[in-house]
Amino acid sequence: MAIDPLKTVGQNTPRIDAYERVTGQATYTRDIKLPGMLYARVLRSNVPHAMIRRIDTSKAEALPGVRAVMTHETHKIPYGSGSISGGRQYSDAHKDITTRLRYTFNDHVRYVGEPVAAVAAVNRHVAEEALQLIEIDYEELPFVLDVEEAIEPGAPEIWSGGNIAHDSENRQQPIGGRTGDLEAGFAEADQIFEDRFTTQFVQDAQMEPRSALAHWEGDKLILHTPTQGVSNCRHDTARDLGLEDHQVQVICQYMGGGFGDKNGNYYFDLIAAAFARDLGVPVMVELSRKDDWLATHGRWHTVQDYRVGVKDDGTVTAIQLNGLSGMGPYLRRSGNVAGMDVYACENTEKSILPVHTNRVVSGNFRAPTYPQGYFGIESMMDEVAYKLGIDPVQFALKNMVRPTETKQFTNFTLDQCIEQGAELFDWANRWKPEPGSGEGPIKRGAGMAFMMFNARLGASSAILRVNAEGRYTVYVGVTDIGPGAKTTMSMLAAEELGVPLSDVDIVWGDSDRCPYSVGESGSRCTMMTGYAVVEAARDLKRQIAENGMPQGDSVLIASATPAPTTNGKLREGFGAHFVEVEVDTHLGDVRVTKYVTVHESGRILNPLPALDQIRGAVIQGIGQALTEDLRYDSRNGQPLTSGYYWGRHLTHLDVPQIENVFIETDDGLGPYGAKTVGESGIIIAPVAVANAVYNAIGHRMRDLPITRDKILEVVA
Amino acid sequence: MKTFANHNPGSVDEAVAIAQAAISDGLSVSFAGGGTDLLQLVKDRIPNRPGAGAPDVLVNLKSIPGIGGIAVNARGGLTIGGLAPLSALAASSVVRQRYSVLAEAAEQVASPQIRNTGTLAGNVCQRPWCWYFRNGFNCYKAGGNQCFSIVGEHQLHAIFGGGPSFIVHPSDVAPALVALEATFHIIGPHGERTLPAAEFFVLPRDDAGHENVLGDAEVLVSINLPASANGVHSSYHKVMDRQTWTHAVASAAVVLDMEEGLCRSARIVLGGVAPIPWRVQAAEALLAGERVTAELADAVGVAAVAEAQPLAKNAYKVPLTRRLVERTVLAVSGVA
Repeated sequence: MAIDPLKTVGQNTPRIDAYERVTGQATYTRDIKLPGMLYARVLRSNVPHAMIRRIDTSKAEALPGVRAVMTHETHKIPYGSGSISGGRQYSDAHKDITTRLRYTFNDHVRYVGEPVAAVAAVNRHVAEEALQLIEIDYEELPFVLDVEEAIEPGAPEIWSGGNIAHDSENRQQPIGGRTGDLEAGFAEADQIFEDRFTTQFVQDAQMEPRSALAHWEGDKLILHTPTQGVSNCRHDTARDLGLEDHQVQVICQYMGGGFGDKNGNYYFDLIAAAFARDLGVPVMVELSRKDDWLATHGRWHTVQDYRVGVKDDGTVTAIQLNGLSGMGPYLRRSGNVAGMDVYACENTEKSILPVHTNRVVSGNFRAPTYPQGYFGIESMMDEVAYKLGIDPVQFALKNMVRPTETKQFTNFTLDQCIEQGAELFDWANRWKPEPGSGEGPIKRGAGMAFMMFNARLGASSAILRVNAEGRYTVYVGVTDIGPGAKTTMSMLAAEELGVPLSDVDIVWGDSDRCPYSVGESGSRCTMMTGYAVVEAARDLKRQIAENGMPQGDSVLIASATPAPTTNGKLREGFGAHFVEVEVDTHLGDVRVTKYVTVHESGRILNPLPALDQIRGAVIQGIGQALTEDLRYDSRNGQPLTSGYYWGRHLTHLDVPQIENVFIETDDGLGPYGAKTVGESGIIIAPVAVANAVYNAIGHRMRDLPITRDKILEVVA
Repeated sequence: MKTFANHNPGSVDEAVAIAQAAISDGLSVSFAGGGTDLLQLVKDRIPNRPGAGAPDVLVNLKSIPGIGGIAVNARGGLTIGGLAPLSALAASSVVRQRYSVLAEAAEQVASPQIRNTGTLAGNVCQRPWCWYFRNGFNCYKAGGNQCFSIVGEHQLHAIFGGGPSFIVHPSDVAPALVALEATFHIIGPHGERTLPAAEFFVLPRDDAGHENVLGDAEVLVSINLPASANGVHSSYHKVMDRQTWTHAVASAAVVLDMEEGLCRSARIVLGGVAPIPWRVQAAEALLAGERVTAELADAVGVAAVAEAQPLAKNAYKVPLTRRLVERTVLAVSGVA
């Protein structure tokens, strides 16, 4: 499907704030200095599970320079989004009825890293020194780290009533459901395959360590914090502090990476706010890198048991998944596992239990439910294809989802993505029908995977203004977490208004100055907020046509809060990845030597950052496949591998040039036909790498990450 | 971060005197070279000397002139100041030509920024990178009396020479220096002493807390390499979890003295697999007087790990080390 070229949209456009960012002029939260401000640090539990019997802060309070110490005894502040998804569109009702509410400080501590106290002092060094002087008497409790052990009878209860997480109505029920007729599907099968796949916890690992700066003007809180959604952060914070939304202003002008879990508030926002209110001065809470690793969130780890029925001709007739997701001690996000619906098979059953453990809290990380789920199901299907003697590409084309009478898409290009990718990658020559074959210790292999992904729910607003000078100003509640939203929003306005990009100014990242935005998560910012910008621009154009340009000091203003609909059709982005690896069977090294991706994300609004998004996501996905992990000592519940050094995040030396092609389409929906980009690239990277490793060495790797010890265990 | 006093001595003797005086006053002292690791230890409140708290006193060695150079000495060998940056070692033409194992080791340390700041002596003397020690566990290396890794997580721990601590020595340059038969020049409160590199490092069974013989107020001032004979070839191969900024899962420093296709003598020292740079003399002996072939290299690899005693979760290091030694020997000897 060809697309009509546009004037601004579709042109490679450098980020409008690139210069400020790379020259150090951009003001991140931690760069802000306010007169009289204090600095705060948070003391964390060093035991995985305990009741606090006694907490003695007297020595800390006596340290010169300390202004205040806060604990569960002094401040009982609910941290609503800490245990329930943040933001007003998700969870207000849930927060009212939950029986598992989390507080900013809890006397029942449930993981190593849980906040137990905070100190505000004249500088960060005094604050940190004071933390050492706080004495805590813990009554240590038995703990559990493993999801299967956590739901066995007699397991240590992290919450009374057991370790299966509560749903929004306080029920302990699995996520999932049935489609079609599972029993008939298995009865129809010639062969049935069963296997288990497991995935690890990985940290979002954004560059900017979290921090929050709060001050009050009368009964109004001004909060500077690195959030993916100023609107949701404001609402969460107001709710937790017993304020109205208008009493909270959240500002985030620059942030050093989002990656998923910041579309809401954090406990340190509440600590900063409470200190600032108590002390009457601005207070900045800063997290160290280790704090950032252990006391925020990452992708939930999973155990997935699949059962797949298939006919001898390769048609999948039934898919069953039973799984467990490790959520840590608080259910901040869903724990769901995605992937099954990329297959056409209509006889399915999925049952996922989100489970509490005494590990770090899990949360949303770039396509929250996807990479772990796709690793499970597409490893399983890859295995089935080999067992049946079918080329995985052919198996994919045979069994992938396709439009039907009851399942309609706004457009469909999954088959094109797979076919074009196979050709670009030279699958026919790089893939070897006999896995593990080849001379010498270095084994080469090829793997592939395919995906679809859609933007999440929600609507946003945008305001547009023009003055007599002919300057256009866009007001949007985006914070620009990395994909370049400020630039994209400005481009959309320029395009629709028919003016040069240089005539457009933008006001962003401030909940008082900008209208509501769903925030930058769910790959929906361009879709939702961008569509609002386009609608507002249309309105402004109409006003200009009717009234002429404003004169003197007058302005024209337009706004829009559209609720885009797809008329019951699925609006999905599609993609296929093809990977070549070399496995050194003597040393256990896995090198990714070629990586080809084909994505269809509708019209690409700005090719430069779109390509960056795919590549960055792929690198994170390869990291999950091969190296990243948060390892615990099971005897004492202590995490051992926090931070970039131990977390083994990949560097540019570790990944090849990632070749990407966008198939551009315009389904007439969204802003100029744009679909989602930001999360698409990570979804199938882990499984594509794992499938290539199988092709190379002939051993299926069922547990992520695929580290050297696991390779050498099977090949050495 | 804990507050500390910083001193900028003008000479090594002055540095030692400052340290000695502070110790006499009951203070905790650290010498600072590049400081790349020391800074993190201080921030994380990890003891730089077993049993000591975070340092009260830092003695900044960078203020001392003349202890960071690389120069050919009167005996035809090389004298390298302890403060020589790792990047300077890696870039030095004389090191690259005559002691390539050392240049290759230096250029595989950490990352470019750390190599520009980190020093030769600092790399040799750095504390272990065991995840228990680095996470603040009160283990032998911190001054405690247990090793948490034995029955815990020890995927990266020792397969040789372990017990009671199972750390691995983290330095890349140390195995190269032992393989080159370097000598270490030390200045302390009781004067100067010179030790063969192999005698600098100590096993936990001899001293569970320390990795080397340096006293609290002693400074590793310089390292001497013997003259390099014609026909000596060497190389350092390092296996890492990613391509940069990790310590060795296993490494091999191999020095072969070759003459007309025969190996006169060999020195093979392993990194990342033992609490000290681990010389494998049984493997070396197989090479003496022999022509290096693929079969011989394979046998050398087997011999190198014959004495390995892996723990429950690090057995993979045995075949890994075997193949690494085989490959490095082949690479140095020029046999494809």
